Amino acid sequence: MTTLACQSLDISIAGKNICSKLNIALEPGQFWGLLGPNGIGKTTLLKCMAGLSAPDSGSVLLENQSIDKLPRRLVARLLGMLQQHTVYVFDASVLETAMTGRHPHLAYWEREGPEDKQKALDAIRAVDLAGFESRSVTGLSGGEARRLAFASLVVQEPAILLMDEPTNHLDMKHQVRVMDLVETSVTSRQQCAMIALHDVNLAARYCGHILMLFGDGAWLAGTADELLNRENLERLYQCPVEPVLTSTGMRFLPGA
Amino acid sequence: MIPIRLRRPLLILLLLMSVSSIFIASASGSVSLGWQEWLAAIRDPGSQHGELIWRLRLPRAMAAWVVGSMLAISGCLMQVLLRNPLADPYVLGVSGGAAFVTLLGMVFGVAAAFLPWLAILGALISILLVFGLARGTGPWSGTRLLLTGVVTASGWGAMISLILSLSPDNSLRGMLFWLMGDLSYATLPSWSLVVLAGSFILTLGLARSLNVLAMGETTARLLGEPTRHMLWLVYLLASVLTATAVSIAGSIGFVGLIVPHLMRLLVGSDHRILIPAATLFGGLFLVFSDTLARTALSPQQLPVGVITALLGVPLFLLLLNRARLKGV
Repeated sequence: MTTLACQSLDISIAGKNICSKLNIALEPGQFWGLLGPNGIGKTTLLKCMAGLSAPDSGSVLLENQSIDKLPRRLVARLLGMLQQHTVYVFDASVLETAMTGRHPHLAYWEREGPEDKQKALDAIRAVDLAGFESRSVTGLSGGEARRLAFASLVVQEPAILLMDEPTNHLDMKHQVRVMDLVETSVTSRQQCAMIALHDVNLAARYCGHILMLFGDGAWLAGTADELLNRENLERLYQCPVEPVLTSTGMRFLPGA
Repeated sequence: MIPIRLRRPLLILLLLMSVSSIFIASASGSVSLGWQEWLAAIRDPGSQHGELIWRLRLPRAMAAWVVGSMLAISGCLMQVLLRNPLADPYVLGVSGGAAFVTLLGMVFGVAAAFLPWLAILGALISILLVFGLARGTGPWSGTRLLLTGVVTASGWGAMISLILSLSPDNSLRGMLFWLMGDLSYATLPSWSLVVLAGSFILTLGLARSLNVLAMGETTARLLGEPTRHMLWLVYLLASVLTATAVSIAGSIGFVGLIVPHLMRLLVGSDHRILIPAATLFGGLFLVFSDTLARTALSPQQLPVGVITALLGVPLFLLLLNRARLKGV
């Protein structure tokens, strides 16, 4: 089973300490929420965990091997990341773009087979873009482009999913849809996911585990039950928080 | 974009048009040959018309086709490399370096036969200069490469202007023709065919990677591309193609910019279809342009670079406008 672990990870960017001595392990079946205020370094941490940038010290271990020692193609079969922004410069169809998720699984001269195409079509339907298959990506709205980027990630079938604000630009229905999809793959396919979010209540509803970044290198990691409370959230966002008990559990509103 | 099922027929059509364009080019010119005269001349290479076709027109048409294909592939590669639809084969200074050294050779009276080698030398200097300056140690930076290349190209431009302004009037005409791109004295060295065939096969093998690279460096890495190595490979491949093309025919403009775009409008951005389509159409387009350059004001010959622009610009604007109307 594939795991992703951070071992005494120190990351700083432009003199700002994002995390120091971060130790966490993402195990199969776990759904992590990454919380922190704007500009605290959530994206930088996710990029580092994806092996896109090197930490100051410590290491990111993918299947117990340092991620920067592994060939990118192998990494891409095990780990996928949804970036915060998706910009499509060149014309390509929605289907073609979703199919790029198969890229790491194919050899150089290989073409996508019917199975690959089916996976892409299924993912497109799952993100509610059915009927858009032959549309050009340059004409998609922000939310549609976002769902397409998520569909490519689904098609990539990595065991580890890192997502930078996947619900950005999405309306309520599609936020829930995307989160449901992630939850399903985490539980049924034993994938693990870490999602950077601004919506505490989406985290409260879906995430079993939470990582909080406070700035100055301080962090907290643990189960959502332990960490999601008024004290931690007020410390995290530096504003009053009002816990509300709903039929589906504890939710948090900005307090007065 | 045309429907996917029409892609293969389109390639076959372009291939047939390519072959016939070369034959048509060999039949037309200051001495225009009818169908039967042409057939007789082809059968008898020793005859007067046979000599004309086999020794002058066919080699020239072949050279035009090869140069056009190279510029088209190079343009596709540069646009992916810089992730910029405005990039063309010359944007990073390859042709500038080639032009500078070639013009310098002309000033010092180097024999015409050696000029292609000077062009290659100049192109190589420019490639290594930009590569060395932009390489750095950090991650891939398209912006740094673009800036280094564009500034280097401007530097070459200034030195070319300097040479032009200091050169005697009687050599200016030849220089200007070279700068605008001219196939009058073009010969087709056999190694250039190897360059074209090799790069074409390599590019086609990398086509799916090019699709991914076109989505941005980070996306490409997340999808398993070793982007740093891959992008330098793309840079070198595009540069070698450009250098070879420029050494044969000078810096013919617009082919490398417009052909990739025209083909994108027709077949989309999947490089597995775009590369062969652009290769065929680039060759075809330049053969057609060169034939027009020879015959339009015959016996006066025009530099083919002027024709490519005069044909390419309206054609491109027309197709772009149509695409926009359809909401593509």
